Amino acid sequence: MSTPTALRPTDLRGVRDAVLDSAGPLAIAGAGTAAWAGDLHPVDAVLDTTGLTGVIAHNPGDMTVSAYAGTPLRELNETLAAHGQRVALDAARVARGATIGGLIATADAGPAALARGSMRDLVIGATVVLADGTVARSGGHVIKNVAGYDLAKLLHGSYGTLGVLVEVVLRLHPVPKQTATLALDCPLAEAAGRAAPVLDGPYEPVAVEWRSHSSGDGSGPAATEAGRLLVRIEATPDALGARARRLLRALGSGATEAGAQEWAAHAERVRGRPEQAVLRLGARPSTLPGLLAALPGAATDAAALTLGVGTGVATAALPASAEDVVAAHHAVHAAGGTSVLRDRPAGLGAPAWGPPPSALRVFKAVKTALDPEARLGPGRFDPWI
Amino acid sequence: MALDKTIHSAFARATGPENVIDDPVRCRAYECDGLTGYRVVPDLVLLPRDAAAVAAAVRVCAEHGVAFVARGAGTGLSGGALPVADGVVISLSRLRRILEIDPVNRRAVIEPGVTNLEITAAAAPHGLYYAPDPSSQQVCTIGGNVAENSGGAHCLKYGFTTNHVLATEVVLPDGSIVTFGGDSPEQAGPDLRGVFVGSEGTLGITTKITVRLLPTPETVRTLLADFPSIGAAGDVVSDIVAAGIVPAAVEMMDTLAIEAAEQAVHAGYTVGVAAALVVELDGPVEECEVQFDQVKRICDRHGCTRLHIAGSAEERAAIWRGRKAAFAAVGRISPDYFVQDGVVPRTRLGEVLDRIAAMGKAAGLRVANVFHAGDGNLHPLVLYNAAAGETERAERLSAQIAELCVELGGSLSGEHGIGTDKACSMPKMFSRDDLAVMQRVRDAFDPDGLCNPGKVLPTPRLCGERPGPYRPHPLEEAGVIERL
Repeated sequence: MSTPTALRPTDLRGVRDAVLDSAGPLAIAGAGTAAWAGDLHPVDAVLDTTGLTGVIAHNPGDMTVSAYAGTPLRELNETLAAHGQRVALDAARVARGATIGGLIATADAGPAALARGSMRDLVIGATVVLADGTVARSGGHVIKNVAGYDLAKLLHGSYGTLGVLVEVVLRLHPVPKQTATLALDCPLAEAAGRAAPVLDGPYEPVAVEWRSHSSGDGSGPAATEAGRLLVRIEATPDALGARARRLLRALGSGATEAGAQEWAAHAERVRGRPEQAVLRLGARPSTLPGLLAALPGAATDAAALTLGVGTGVATAALPASAEDVVAAHHAVHAAGGTSVLRDRPAGLGAPAWGPPPSALRVFKAVKTALDPEARLGPGRFDPWI
Repeated sequence: MALDKTIHSAFARATGPENVIDDPVRCRAYECDGLTGYRVVPDLVLLPRDAAAVAAAVRVCAEHGVAFVARGAGTGLSGGALPVADGVVISLSRLRRILEIDPVNRRAVIEPGVTNLEITAAAAPHGLYYAPDPSSQQVCTIGGNVAENSGGAHCLKYGFTTNHVLATEVVLPDGSIVTFGGDSPEQAGPDLRGVFVGSEGTLGITTKITVRLLPTPETVRTLLADFPSIGAAGDVVSDIVAAGIVPAAVEMMDTLAIEAAEQAVHAGYTVGVAAALVVELDGPVEECEVQFDQVKRICDRHGCTRLHIAGSAEERAAIWRGRKAAFAAVGRISPDYFVQDGVVPRTRLGEVLDRIAAMGKAAGLRVANVFHAGDGNLHPLVLYNAAAGETERAERLSAQIAELCVELGGSLSGEHGIGTDKACSMPKMFSRDDLAVMQRVRDAFDPDGLCNPGKVLPTPRLCGERPGPYRPHPLEEAGVIERL
């Protein structure tokens, strides 16, 4: 098999030319911070988006920014911080240099999704190049906009199979004046009960997550048995102390104020270790703890787990075996949830997806409409497409 | 050409004969939505009682090539539920069950005919509510909200319908049923839920919706502030944003809108003042109080001439009554009016209002302004007198205002939708390729073009051969359809 041609355009026209000048299967690559979804089939060319970087327009007064899709979110947020603004997405991969386009294409998000949503909730406009070179734009530069179909949402979670994201317009949030993180040690089975007063109350937490203590290297307790519930609030300085104290009371015995480094430890478990198969899954929040605990290998010290107690989105880094991944997909599906394989050891040979959703037909029809020759990202949705 | 007997009885079998309206007089009740200028009487109106009957009805449409238009409460303002000649209207008004309130997972599962406010009423005993609050929330239905991606006064902080819908069961244009989204924000594959929400009934019919519920905010603080100029009020909004405060709502009204609202509901607004700002904060009590003080100081700094702070729930309700009454109240100072819904980047509010004023003057028409100042969503009300022959001028001014918003980097519509009303303006905002790609997406859902045809995307039939700025379209000239 010959090495795919590397294409590294630096602007919209360059992307269009790259798509038109190449023929055959084409993969889109960002910063390479995750090997998500299905393994790519052989392709003739790889379109590298890391040359598409930089802010196109930042309008601080409107709290919007447009930027090239290959811009690492971390860099973008460093630029925006000078104006006290940010893209409020804290996916674990951001620290590794994940690009905004990659975060959209893989539908990634972090703990703050509880309050801010994922990229689908933050993207207000996009410019996309389709496999036939068509350049299409949707949305715009205003946060409130219902004109036309929202193509950016279609690209969200498309894993590079529907089009190349080139320019993205994002809504911004203020950088919080202060944040506080509260922590409480408890096993997985108690996480939802302990978090309930916080989620049901008037506290406006931006993140409520549980993570196992186990880092997955086999040195700690079983992932399900010991872990930490984390709650984050964002506040103005004059309100922070009182809000944190009230939250501590709501959390009850054992709760303490912790540092922001707790979130780095959480992100580590989300990313998993090289020898693990990392699944991202979602289900009705109340069913998730039981579901997680029953996954193959979850109740061992070789697993690492995180649980979005309010969102119902979790990650399970499990001792890797293809059969276990299949079993995990089926367990999640049986609970009415959905799962996708993210990082895993090379050559694991496990399917990235479980049983297909009812909407697969529509996805296929959209795929045929936008990429009739099936050029983009072959294999990403194996075995569905 | 009316639908023939065979098709008619197929529909009767699909929904039950008692759920079919074919009397032209009764069908007339469905001839338009809240945009009353466009009227088409449907051949049949179907009132299915459950999702299976909706699917059965759509299958009949697919089999016989009959166009269909889904309809909720009919409160839409863009003609999105305008019937199609020789087509059927499928009313979702009888799918009214609240299927589940799940306080543990803070969500509700409802049928499309449930009104927006009924969701909050059902959730309230659990200390929860449904956040998006379009002005028509007492009567508009969640199915319509999903179709239009409805906003509301509080979407500045809480977002739009799309941010609150977890899943929606949909009858596709071939009559099959699928679910977009699921029990968590995590979805397998592209965000089809996000594409469907806001597609204005052109991609299918929603028959079941799962929405997120939020804990009712502990504190709500509301103020009404008067300013000697629109510019000063605009500066207040800028400073609030610059301070990193995200209010639940920021609404502005100009002299004319205040005058109309005050005449109608006596809510305590100051008649004659240049601009009134309603600012509402909600959230944890400590946070709310600190930020509310900041907002008050910002108002003072910009020459606020009167600051009225709601001291009770009644006073708060009065302030909102004034704001929400503004639309209908304009009827008291003008025999007729058009409502626009354009959006501009918030920082261009001053500029757009100046230009709207100049355009109004040039057209010899008054324009009252009520708008969501926090997100730049304008609702200019173009006042005119149809009896005096001003309709055409008003209509032109109204379309020009929407297109001006696009010129300033904004959008044709913030929350009312494109529907029939603005489809012909879409080429002002999107290129031919943009629209062609949207059409490809639409065809993927609806290859036969039966699902709410003629809405959202411009068609030569409605817009003439060359899509472009509004001009009276051929059907209108032929007297087939009319605008008020």
